[in-house]
Amino acid sequence: MSEPIIRVENVSFSYNPSAEKPVFALQDINLEVFPGDYLVIVGHNGSGKSTLAKHFNALLRPTQGDVWVDGMNTKDPKCVLPIRATVGMVFQIPDNQIVATVVEEDVAFGPANLGVPEEELRARVDWALKIVDMDAYRQRAPHLLSSGQKQRVAIAGAMALKPKVLVLDESTSMLDPAGREEVLKAVRTLNKEGTTIVAITHFMHEAVEGNRVIVMEAGRIVAQGSPREVFSNVETLRALHLDVPQVTELAYELHKRDNTFPADLLTVDEIVQEIERRLEQKERIGGYSWARHYTGQ
Amino acid sequence: MENFEFLRNVTIGQYFQGDSIIHRLDPRAKITILLILVVVNSFILSFTGNVLLLSWCIALVLLSGISFRFMLSGIKPALPLIVIFALMQLFFYGDAYPPYGMESVTYWRWGIMSITNGSIQLVIVTLMRFLEIFFLVSLLTSTTTTTNIAYAIESMLEPFQRLRVPAQEISLIGTIALRFVPIFAEQMEIIMKAQASRGADFGEGGVFQFVKRTRQMVTLIVPLFVDAFRRAEDLILAMDARCYTGGRGRTKIVRFHMQRVDLLFIAFTAVFGVLIMVFRNHFPI
Repeated sequence: MSEPIIRVENVSFSYNPSAEKPVFALQDINLEVFPGDYLVIVGHNGSGKSTLAKHFNALLRPTQGDVWVDGMNTKDPKCVLPIRATVGMVFQIPDNQIVATVVEEDVAFGPANLGVPEEELRARVDWALKIVDMDAYRQRAPHLLSSGQKQRVAIAGAMALKPKVLVLDESTSMLDPAGREEVLKAVRTLNKEGTTIVAITHFMHEAVEGNRVIVMEAGRIVAQGSPREVFSNVETLRALHLDVPQVTELAYELHKRDNTFPADLLTVDEIVQEIERRLEQKERIGGYSWARHYTGQ
Repeated sequence: MENFEFLRNVTIGQYFQGDSIIHRLDPRAKITILLILVVVNSFILSFTGNVLLLSWCIALVLLSGISFRFMLSGIKPALPLIVIFALMQLFFYGDAYPPYGMESVTYWRWGIMSITNGSIQLVIVTLMRFLEIFFLVSLLTSTTTTTNIAYAIESMLEPFQRLRVPAQEISLIGTIALRFVPIFAEQMEIIMKAQASRGADFGEGGVFQFVKRTRQMVTLIVPLFVDAFRRAEDLILAMDARCYTGGRGRTKIVRFHMQRVDLLFIAFTAVFGVLIMVFRNHFPI
């Protein structure tokens, strides 16, 4: 495996470190994010997932431990700008992160801050708007867009910095289902084209999008692995009062009745295939067409 | 229910897409024209002068292709205030302002209140002057994107940067303020609806019951401020995350080039302004 692009080493963080009894929002976090990853961090409100995300681009600096981004320490003031250009971030509320009153000018805000010359600035804005499929709206006023569109503009604004990593801090939580799907589609495209994604969410079905999932609780990482590994521990997640994706829940309930049924299915397609396979199998063994029985043919 | 819809009522600050000659003028030219006409406006106290200036402003509005109905609808929220001021001028300023170009005539007097042809002239002239400013400002904002206005101000302030005028920052503050106007209008609607759904009474208390309306505003402004601060904190993070470090070294995506039309417009306005100023004491009424 290649070098990690983000390395979190023994990080603890407190918002009030000088208090008598500092409360730690993060405790002893160790984490590596590799180029091309689609990492999903799930957890409750107050589990520290957003706090952790803000460490990735030096918005917060660890109270103890270190965060390394592409070989740069976030504690080094000289590295702050290059780090923020390496790790783009999209926040929760679409309206609160759009600075300009015209879409393309907002997308240009990041690279303009870095002093990117005019021609390249234009090229980057074009590219970023195209990648989130918003280039038809470049002259629009942001307040006339839907929230899904606004959030895609925000993604374009982050991508215009040409970051290697894109952090989405609950970026879909304020959107309607259609807007959420638009945003997820854009993110999938970005990931396919090589951008590392770190997505923070409390929608479990979005966690399935990733290749790695991290579950946080009370400032610690309590579970991690592929979505399949993590969500097969239905009981653990329930103990943390976290949902599992509905499909996984169904698979798990079926597994409890019939332990040959796999408990770690993640998508609707998977579960449909599994049930079809079983129906066909039964048909072959029992000589009775359950498939026909159910469809009435 | 239309009381809730602020977005529709605020015409100043709303950009209206279009392709008129006014739309295409360089924003710096538009601001210069605005400044010239505002100066002229503040010097002219006669009927004739104001009719001329108002016609000039109306001509500009016609050129922009923006409907008067849309423009005038923006005055509606300010109407009670305008009426109060007009009444006060009418009744209390009769002796303070001798009429321009006419013999002073008193029509009615009761104690300290009086109506003279001076106060009537004052009311009419004030209304015209108000309309002129109102047309000019709404014209600027409805034909120019707010970002362009901000960039234009920035570009016009650039020569003063040596005197440590933070042109970039001023322009960014302006843009952000304007960017959040519709958001806060929307937020205000939400708060009003939330309060109305719990029995607050916004629908009634007509246009002129401003005491009642003002009292209602207080309960809106506090939550609105809280919301504004929360948004500001979010915005700071978002700007930090996008490498904002202040105005220094920023590049721009928008560049302006003054065309001949722009210069012509400025020249016309300047000539018009100077003529009106020179002859301002020679108009018959």
